[in-house]
Order: sequence, then structure tokens, then C-alpha cells
Amino acid sequence: MSAVAFEGVTKEFAGGVRAVDSLDLVIEDHEFLVLLGPSGCGKSTALRMIAGLDDPTAGVVRIGDRIVNDVDPKDRDVAMVFQSYALYPHMTVRKNIEFPLDARKLPHAERNTVVQHAAEVLGLAELLDRKPAQLSGGQRQRVALARAIVRRPSVFLMDEPLSNLDAKLRVQTRVELVALQRSLASTLIYVTHDQVEAMTMGHRIAIMRDGMLQQVGPPQEVYDRPANQFVAQFIGTPPMNTFHAVASARGLEVADGAFAMVDGWAREPQDVIGGIRPEHLHLESLAREAPDGGALVVATVSMVEALGHERHVHCRMQNDDSIIVRVAASDPYPTTGEAVALRADAEHVHVFSTETGQRVALA
Amino acid sequence: MRESALAYAMLAPSLLIFGAFVFFPFVKNFSFPFYQQSTASGFGTFGKAAPPKWVGWQQWHEVFTSRTFWHSAWVTVQFVVLTVPLGIAFGLLLAVLAHQRLRGITIFRTIFSSTVASSAAVASTIFFSLIGTESGLWKLRIHGHALLDDKTWALPAIALVSVWQSLGLSFIVMSSGLQAIPDDLLEAARVDGASSVRRFRRVTLPLLSPTIFFAFVVGSISAFKTFAEIDLLSPIGKETGGTSLLAYQVKRLAFESESRNGQAAIFAVGLFAIVLLLTLIQMRLERRVHYGR
Repeated sequence: MSAVAFEGVTKEFAGGVRAVDSLDLVIEDHEFLVLLGPSGCGKSTALRMIAGLDDPTAGVVRIGDRIVNDVDPKDRDVAMVFQSYALYPHMTVRKNIEFPLDARKLPHAERNTVVQHAAEVLGLAELLDRKPAQLSGGQRQRVALARAIVRRPSVFLMDEPLSNLDAKLRVQTRVELVALQRSLASTLIYVTHDQVEAMTMGHRIAIMRDGMLQQVGPPQEVYDRPANQFVAQFIGTPPMNTFHAVASARGLEVADGAFAMVDGWAREPQDVIGGIRPEHLHLESLAREAPDGGALVVATVSMVEALGHERHVHCRMQNDDSIIVRVAASDPYPTTGEAVALRADAEHVHVFSTETGQRVALA
Repeated sequence: MRESALAYAMLAPSLLIFGAFVFFPFVKNFSFPFYQQSTASGFGTFGKAAPPKWVGWQQWHEVFTSRTFWHSAWVTVQFVVLTVPLGIAFGLLLAVLAHQRLRGITIFRTIFSSTVASSAAVASTIFFSLIGTESGLWKLRIHGHALLDDKTWALPAIALVSVWQSLGLSFIVMSSGLQAIPDDLLEAARVDGASSVRRFRRVTLPLLSPTIFFAFVVGSISAFKTFAEIDLLSPIGKETGGTSLLAYQVKRLAFESESRNGQAAIFAVGLFAIVLLLTLIQMRLERRVHYGR
């Protein structure tokens, strides 16, 4: 049993900086959870509290059934991969991988077998006698992984382990890490600020901001139903369009038109923040009615970005809010300065409170 | 062309000073051993000097077959062996203590590094008042007389003064070495299950080896050249040879005896050879104790 739980955990550093604020989060046994957030959101501090490298100021950290607040890192049965890989520069790859086993005084023969196996799994067998300085970034990252897996810990902690790799290697390693977690059947808590990693790797994503948990859930759920405006804009590339609007029976009214909503707005008209992802917006000819009889919004094209597989059409609405529309590369697209009509998929229109930024339930 | 002329012009003042006070005496020192100065023509005399007499390799032979030179060299080696490892060990111990994240630790760091502000003369004066005489503040007596007057204990006592005086620098060097070790390596070792002793032995110490090596070489060079402590603290030992280090012998031969500055120059050359050898060893081995990251 190697579930990990934060129960009301707060971490305050000297000077009153609150890195983690009343965190309640349960990571299930064998789960791959991604802690996602911008720099300084407290995700690494949360990870370090599981490892025992930082002590909580308040609250309880559990690993399995044990409260580990006062348990030494070496007795927590966790392994950690650091962003810098933290390889011992004076030791060979073999000695690096062996270090955790050595510290646990595993018999020599058994140690050799385990190291050899880990090296083969991660494609390091040829590199065992090299020093870290003689390895590429990707190879160093594998050594760090090998060092973590040889102990067969119940919980793996990874702090932005792919951030030092180039884009191509990152994609490849991402896939390998997911496969590795499956084969090890361990709990894995993975810290990143990269939302693509979060979306593609984790069973669930926990999004943090300013030390506070914003939302936790499966990637698609977080993408489809963001709990607040911050999550909505943090997940997705390009991020969700947000704009000032009035929610009314017509839908989301902006200066020159409205975006339809599935069930309309049954309450009194209200100032809100509207949210629509770029792929849920469509460009229509100004001369035509919306094909489904829905509402349209008039806007002016300010820029068109061609990405090869698609285009991002940046438009400016008449209330001066800008909005991005994703257009497939094969579809017709407008030119800069052209006036266009925008239509939204009614089922993908989000509404957030102007006061709190929280999602407003429409039904 | 104009640019290089300007460069030489700007270098000229330094070259002049270095030339007059470093390069010229350095080269000149190699010629002294081949001449015998006549009486009253040594460095310390200002009378009209008679022309020096060419004696060839005779003085080299005299010095290198003399008991004085080899005894002095042996005493110097003893002094180096006593001071350098102790200085490094104490400096490292204090640096490790001061590396803890504790409230008020900066006060201790200041105290630990404070001896760097004292000179050998100040350190000697302080310790002379403590152990210099039988009635010194510590009232230390050995074989019926003051520590510094004892043939056996004078050298270790002076070595201790030297260690104390250089402790501040050793502490600063070791502290900077410790601070250069990335925190995440030690954190990784903690998570990997290493105890604090194991972390120190397997991670900290190996990563500190370039710093220790540097401190060892620089400390050895400095210890080989020790002069002030001997001159100030050892009124009897230096005469009887118990604390007569090479650098002190250079001064004694050149300024305190008649017509022996040729021999003094040979002692200086010997000292130079040792320091040069140490520097070469450092340059040669430096790369081996550095780890690429």
C-alpha cells in the first residue's frame, strides 16, 4: 500500500513566504499523478515534503498508513529524480546506480545483478564505466532514472525530469516514462510546468497556484471542465480565450453579437467572464446567418499565425478583447484586417465569475 | 604597431617595479652562490665592500654536505607536516560546523574566519604572552622551562601558533568549497538512504578534494616559507637548530654572520626548488581532482 496523502499541509518558509497552503490531496496507490503549475506555485515544495527534504509547517503527510512528518528521507521508501539529475560527478555510472543499494548494504552479487538489469532496461549497459561528465543530457537522465528504480521504492518522485532535454528527446522520454511507470506498478508523483507533459502522462493532474490546489482530475476532465479561469488558461495551447461578456437569454453577449449557450441563461443577465477554446470557435462569412441559426459575433482579424498543421487567427472583438480561432491548415482563412463573424460550439462555452474567477454552473 | 607601443607604455611602470624588486633580485640570487663575499661586505653592511671572489661550485658543495642545511630542511619538513594537515582538518571541521543552517550561524562564521585579519607577527605576539615565558598567561612548563625554550616542544608549539593564524583562511577556503557542492547532490544522497557520515564520506569529501588539494599545496608553500613566527617566538630554538627553518636560515646566514650570503643564496635556491616542485605537482595533478559536471 503506497498511497500518498496531504492532509491540510502548509509549508511556510522564513520570512512568512507560504509555499504550500492547506493542501488536501490523496494520490492513490499505483497512480501516476502530475503536479502542474507555474514557477513558484508550490508544486516542488509539495514533492519535497513527500521526500522528507522539507518539513510541513502544519498538517500531515502520509505514505501508506504511516504519518511521515518526522520520518527521515531514507526511511520513507521513496526515490526521487531531480531536475538537475543530481548525479554524483566523481562516481561512474555503475557507482551512481549502485549508491542507494550500497547505502542499504545489499550483498555484492545481488547488487551487481540489480544494477545490470536496470542498466539494460534503460539502455545504459555500455556506459556503466563512464563518469557523468562523459554522458549526454539524455543519458544522464536515464542514469538518474536507473538510480531511482534499482531500489524498487513504493513511491517515485520526479521533479521536472525532462526539462533539460531537447524537444525531440522529451517526447521520446515522455512515452518511455509512462511505460516504465506501468511496468513498475508504483505510485509516481511527477512535477512539471509543462501542460503537454501533464496532459499526456498522468492518470490525474493536480493544478496548483500560489500554494493552493486549484483542481485535481483526469486530464480530459480538467481540459473540458476547468474549475476556474486560471486552470482554463493554464491548460491548452493556445490557451482558452477569455473575455468580458454579459450572460443573458441570448447567450454570452459581447459588444457586437453573442455566443450561443446550450441551455441559455435562465437567471437575470449578469456580467461574467466568458471562455471558449480556440478549436471551439468557427469563422463564418459576415453575409451569412450562423448555419445552425445560432448567434454570431463580429470581429476584425489582427494576425494570422501559420503553424504548418493549423493556423491561429487572432481577432479583435469590438469590446477590444482579443480572441484566437484555430483553423485547420486545409481550410480557407481570412487575411489581416478583414472583418469576420465568429461562431462558438454552444456546448463548449464556459462561464466564470468576474469576482472569483470560479466556474459558473450553467444548468 | 601604435597599439602595442601603448600597451608597453602602460605596462612599463609595473615592469619597472617588478624588474627592480622581483626579477633582478631573483636572477641575481643565482649568481651569489658562485662568489665569496669578503668580510664586512654582506647584505647587512653598508661599508665599502671589497670585490667578491669567484669560488665556483665550492659553496654549493659546502652547503649540500653540511649538517646545517639538511637539518634545517628536515625541521622544515617536520613543520610542514605538523601545520598543513592540522590546518586543513581544523578549517574543514569549522567549515562543516558553520555550514549548518542555524540561527546566528553568521556570528560563528565571522569568529571562525577572524584570524585571517591577523598577521604572523600579531599571532606570535599573542601567543608569546601565553606561552612565551614560564610566567606566561598559561604558565606552561615542560622539563622545567617554558614551552618555547624546550628543544622538543618548541617546534610543535610554533606550529600550533601557525595553524591558529592560518585557520581563518583555511576556514574560508573550505567553506567556499562546501558551498560549491550542489545541495541537490546531498539531498539525493539523503533520499538514497545515506546516513550523514556516509554522505560526508562518499559525497562531500570527494567533491571537496579539489579544494583540499588546493589548500594542501598553498598551505605547504606557505609553511615552507615560514619565517616570522620562528624569528619572533623562538629565541633559543632557532639558535640551537630545533626550530631553524630554511627561510630563517636564509636570513641568519645573510644578515647575522660574516661573509656567508653566498650560502644564504643557496638556501634560498633550495627553498625555491621545493616551492617550484610543489607548484608543478599542483599544476600536474589539478586536473585529476576536478570533476566535470
